[in-house]
Amino acid sequence: MLSPDLVETLLRQALNGGADFAEIYAERSRRRRVIVRSGRLEEAISGLDYGAGLRLFFGTEVVYAYTNQLTREGLLEALETLLRAKGALGQVDERGAGGLDFRKALPKGLHTPRTPYEEKDKRYRLERLLEAEAGARIAPEIRQVEASLQEWEQEVLIANTEGTWAEEKRVRTRLFVLAVAQDGTEVQTGYAAPGKSVGLELFDLFPPKEVGAKAARQALTNLRAKPAPAGTMPVVVGNAFGGVIFHEALGHLLETTSVAKKASVLADRLGEEVASPAVTYIDDGTLPHAWGSTEVDDEGRPTERTVLIERGILKSYMVDRLGHLLTGYPMTGSGRRQDYTFAPTSRMRNTFIAPGDKEVEDLIASVEFGLYAKELGGGQVKPGSGEYNFAVQEGYIIRHGRLEEPVRGAMLVGKGPETIRKVVAVAKDWENAPGMCGSLSGMVPVEVGQPHVLVSEIVVGGRA
Amino acid sequence: MTLEEAKRYLLRRAKELGLEAEVLFQEERELSLRARQGTLEEIKEARQGGIGLRVVVQGHVGYAYTEELSPEALEWALSEARDNALLAGKEGFIPPGQALGSHDLLGEGLSAPLEAKKQSALELERALRDDPRTRSVLMGGYMEKEVRMALSSTLGAEGALRTGLAGLGGSLVMGDGPSLKQGWDFKLAKEFHALDPGRTALEIREKTARLLNAKPLPTGRYRAYLEPKAMAELLLVLSRSLSAKSALEGKSRLLNRLGERIASEWVTLVDDPTLEKGFLSRPFDAEGTPARRTVVVEKGVFKTFLHNAETARALGQENTGHAFRTYRGILDVAPTNLYLEPVGNLRLEKGVLITEFMGLHAGANPVSLDFSLQALGLWVEEGEVRHAVENFAVAGNLLELLQGVEAVGDDLDWTLLDAAYGSPTVAVAELSFAGA
Repeated sequence: MLSPDLVETLLRQALNGGADFAEIYAERSRRRRVIVRSGRLEEAISGLDYGAGLRLFFGTEVVYAYTNQLTREGLLEALETLLRAKGALGQVDERGAGGLDFRKALPKGLHTPRTPYEEKDKRYRLERLLEAEAGARIAPEIRQVEASLQEWEQEVLIANTEGTWAEEKRVRTRLFVLAVAQDGTEVQTGYAAPGKSVGLELFDLFPPKEVGAKAARQALTNLRAKPAPAGTMPVVVGNAFGGVIFHEALGHLLETTSVAKKASVLADRLGEEVASPAVTYIDDGTLPHAWGSTEVDDEGRPTERTVLIERGILKSYMVDRLGHLLTGYPMTGSGRRQDYTFAPTSRMRNTFIAPGDKEVEDLIASVEFGLYAKELGGGQVKPGSGEYNFAVQEGYIIRHGRLEEPVRGAMLVGKGPETIRKVVAVAKDWENAPGMCGSLSGMVPVEVGQPHVLVSEIVVGGRA
Repeated sequence: MTLEEAKRYLLRRAKELGLEAEVLFQEERELSLRARQGTLEEIKEARQGGIGLRVVVQGHVGYAYTEELSPEALEWALSEARDNALLAGKEGFIPPGQALGSHDLLGEGLSAPLEAKKQSALELERALRDDPRTRSVLMGGYMEKEVRMALSSTLGAEGALRTGLAGLGGSLVMGDGPSLKQGWDFKLAKEFHALDPGRTALEIREKTARLLNAKPLPTGRYRAYLEPKAMAELLLVLSRSLSAKSALEGKSRLLNRLGERIASEWVTLVDDPTLEKGFLSRPFDAEGTPARRTVVVEKGVFKTFLHNAETARALGQENTGHAFRTYRGILDVAPTNLYLEPVGNLRLEKGVLITEFMGLHAGANPVSLDFSLQALGLWVEEGEVRHAVENFAVAGNLLELLQGVEAVGDDLDWTLLDAAYGSPTVAVAELSFAGA
């Protein structure tokens, strides 16, 4: 995207301007989105994102600029504006005089798609989406189905004044199905959205018809569901996307973005017991073809598998370059950003609770009265207080150790560090699921995951 | 190529290819200054622009956009847009256009020395720390954005506008003994000089500190008072159901309910893109339809959906001029400055004053309008705030909530979310609270 000569000029100018460190991130992304409703293609859009971000450190002070003008003039102008804003123009640093010796890291192709986008035409995609829609039409109550496909092919170049030069092409594909069920004036929705770092083989991994049926079954379940009970009770949280509870309640508290500012209740707690001994919590950016995997992070550093909590003991945070500067913890390849319009911060990749030794049936059988949160929606956390919430997308009452009627509208609320201590049992059935995580550096693809877990008590918000 | 040149290139090529086309370009300049512990920890300077294309081929619509303005990239966008249209099954059209003029809604609003802007960020951050209860300031900052947008079509639409906003905001953790609360807020204005760092910091501190030493709220049904920010969040959820596009897609419970009472008599809901100094005011919408004030709900009666030309034709109703499209997106419908009209008959008695909702994107369903949301709030008795309450969720259905509105205050305040939402404090007869 950019010549080594231009990159070197920019980085050297940044050092000349007094920066201690400089980095350039250039990106070209092709995106396609196709939406099918009522048996026909309703909307299709294709796009080309193209831009670069320049980041300079002056000690721990950061300046960042981005632009779509990737010409020599455009980039130099962006850099100059930035140095002027910092008030740092004119200083000369002798380090700028020497040449930069880039160590070029070649991509290994760990997540290369098997069926690249160009191998199939648009009609092929349309047909798969129509299959997904047909798959959702399993009952007359299903009134509306929306199936959409999202393709995202991102080429990045990251280079910095320490000699890093990394290029990677990241391909991500996701299928969404939304089913709306109606009975009289009652309206409920169901949702399924598999996604991977793959090409069009996504349709082989997740047959569209089954994805449609899954969304529809959830909408129908919610249609006959009663309002959830309200109060404090034991909760069995489902596997895969159920992991979003600990993504919110625990993961965000372990990012140096909040740890470095002591804005996390889990700051300065390495080596301490912060969770129940049943919990081992891992963030792995290397899982092949996972939605949140990349070969290098958005600071050009190879991603890795980071054990955050081992049997309840806090082992590591997720550390980006700035977090490293502020805390001294070693970097973990966790610097991520939505695109060139954001400076990177420490972010989760694929984060999950490791499998335990219990059977799912035993978890349910041990509950006298409680909630089975089979599928969860999204949620939110305030790291400073640890307060979190997330929505139950598909839930059932557990009575006398047996699953009984479905309930809807449940919201789980609590404080993360308290909840993670109340995980009393972890099953064997670990699975991950994709999601989009929003934070300081924008929306990034992540996987969340876990086996089924039993939490001894959570506040369930429902109808009192 | 510049965006102007790219626009002309695309319109010329579209005509050569026999396509009807509408070209929208946007150019944004952004400055953000983030202070922490007395220094500017992050300065961000940005320019971003791109061009979005909507074409019609044989009555079908296709879209594409690009931020790269080389002839190759523009040709790619044209061919993708055309392919997308050829595959589409839904009918669509580009409305006949008119000369819309060139409008400047910003003027000199952001004209101030960079140094003054830096000082405002530093002053805000310092004032956030200036409180014994402050445990840590995550950030205090200044942000400004200037947007230029232009619209052109092969059917004669031609218009441009310039607008922008300045803002101050901060985030901090406050504590009292073991009780901790994280607070965050920002204030926006059309002019830099209208911002007041000291006052904004004081408001953020007071709004956070009042939530400290919270007690659990016993599960039950209570009267609820929704502060402007909390109500704004609910209006955001409701706004999807007010969109005629959602209605046509089977995603609004308000379809076929025009003229019916959907809320209490105290509820009058207006969208006004012509509001002077409105955060999202604009003279015309994304299809070039001139802007006007729209009464959506009048004294509880549902008067109209928000429409663009396509949805108005499909439902046989009047176009309200709410077409929305960014260069990266497809044609949609969106509110601009949507607000609940003040009444002035509200008096606090007994119940929960809800200051803020959390987890809106997960806890509120824009189709069913059911919600179950974690909230922060204060317990009110005999007209006075007694103490903060925490660890609870509020559940219900938004349409039932609107029917239950008993009183509306006169303290109209605005919150910028995906659009600008305004509301006074609102009293709701009864809501279901889940807590201890």
